[in-house]
Amino acid sequence: MLALSPARNSTRDDGESEFRATSCGFSINPEEDFPEFAVHGDLLDIIDFDDLFGVAGDVLPDLEMDPEILGGELSDHMNASSTITTTTSSSEKTKSQGKSNNKKGISGKGEEVVSKRDHNETPVAETVVNYDGDSGRKRSHSSSGSTKRNPISNNEGKRKVKKVDWTPELHRRFVEAVEQLGLEKAVPSRILELMGVHCLTRHNVASHLQKYRSHRKHLLAREAEAANWTRKRHIYGLDSTGANANGRNRNGWLAPAPTLGYPLPPPAAVASPPVHHHHLRPLHVWGHPTVDQSVMPHVWPKHLPPPSTAMATPPFWLSDTPYWPRIHNGTTPYLPTVATRFRTPPVAGIPQALPSHHMVYNYKPDHGFGGPRSLVDLHPSKESVDAAIGDVLTRPWLPLPLGLKPPAVDGVITELHRHGVSDVPPAASCA
Amino acid sequence: MADSSSASYIHMVHHMIEKCLIFNMSKEECVEALSKHANITPVITSTVWKELEKENKEFFKAYEERQSKQEQMSEEETTQLIQKIISDSSKESDE
Repeated sequence: MLALSPARNSTRDDGESEFRATSCGFSINPEEDFPEFAVHGDLLDIIDFDDLFGVAGDVLPDLEMDPEILGGELSDHMNASSTITTTTSSSEKTKSQGKSNNKKGISGKGEEVVSKRDHNETPVAETVVNYDGDSGRKRSHSSSGSTKRNPISNNEGKRKVKKVDWTPELHRRFVEAVEQLGLEKAVPSRILELMGVHCLTRHNVASHLQKYRSHRKHLLAREAEAANWTRKRHIYGLDSTGANANGRNRNGWLAPAPTLGYPLPPPAAVASPPVHHHHLRPLHVWGHPTVDQSVMPHVWPKHLPPPSTAMATPPFWLSDTPYWPRIHNGTTPYLPTVATRFRTPPVAGIPQALPSHHMVYNYKPDHGFGGPRSLVDLHPSKESVDAAIGDVLTRPWLPLPLGLKPPAVDGVITELHRHGVSDVPPAASCA
Repeated sequence: MADSSSASYIHMVHHMIEKCLIFNMSKEECVEALSKHANITPVITSTVWKELEKENKEFFKAYEERQSKQEQMSEEETTQLIQKIISDSSKESDE
């Protein structure tokens, strides 16, 4: 595919009209071209403009300059041609390689395109048409994440764009390459080189890289939240018990390390997430059958998975361990944190629709102490009770709803001893 | 260590009891709920409840009164409410 670029150039030079003729039947109408794309089988869908141009220059590899320019055009085809220059320059900037020939080519193209655009919108169409082999490729690349078949393949004489299937293996190599380069420095062409995969174009990599980056951001945010939560649990001293027989409190508090069998203590797990998480996530999320399950921990704070499902998942996490050490040594510290917060909910039996129950629950305090009696109060629904209790279990740092004076701990313990309960929290199963 | 974990556990049970109080549950209901939803041993729940009562006598006194008041009057109204709900839902399903 890469070899096709020169061919395309020459073809384009020969006559854009030719292109127009052969290209998917595009008629060169400035704006109408775009609707036509839609006609030509979800082209607009395939052209993921955000993907192409959302990140300035990032997505567009230093192919044959054209895409970058054209990308600028496409995104702002309504706007002045100055956009092209901007895009061009930004493309140049972001392309750390800074190959002079590319730059030249870019400016050349820019000028060319600009001048054309000045007349009318034709150049836009032209450019679109021009690299329709490219664009075809681009489209498929940008949609590689969505794995759409590129309809441009009906172009005779144009490259058949290969739908990129980001298999876990492929992605792993991608991640490795990115890490080698450093995420900030990871440029599609370099990544491609490092990956040594020939069926990928730089644009494939570019769009994948963009998605990877945005995904990482999400994960970082979530892991930070998880880390926060885990730290708070430590504050509550529940993790430090660890003394429970199986490391798992009956009431659902989890001592992560012993339970999961990871050798590293929770604090280490808390500390490491930002560093390691990106090693873990991508493989799960993309092109991997475990996508759905891996998503669950992410959404955990909002949607607590139903107990049955959740209980099934911890094994998933554990069984997944081989994946990580294979790729990144020392990433395991992170898992306890993840799996910890993942496992806690099921034990608590927290229902999924927490917010709605919260509403029911919140209704109660309205009538306070001697306020209007609510009929619903008499028999609170199981779900709301469950939700309220679950809320305490999952977020113990929340303030007490009534703020009653807490009982004396010693008094309670003494009392419990009298009743024959020596362990608080008890390790024995619920009576 | 053991103290802090006990303390936090007791705090948690306390928290849960408060949530039940908001639901106007009786002590027995509370014990059952905690045992069912959070696996808290009934004896622990009841002990914490008692201790809470000791610390917040006035609150619990008023709470008890309210409870008994409710129990007296609510039955008919509860039935009415349920009937209303049924008719409402059947109306909805009709539409």
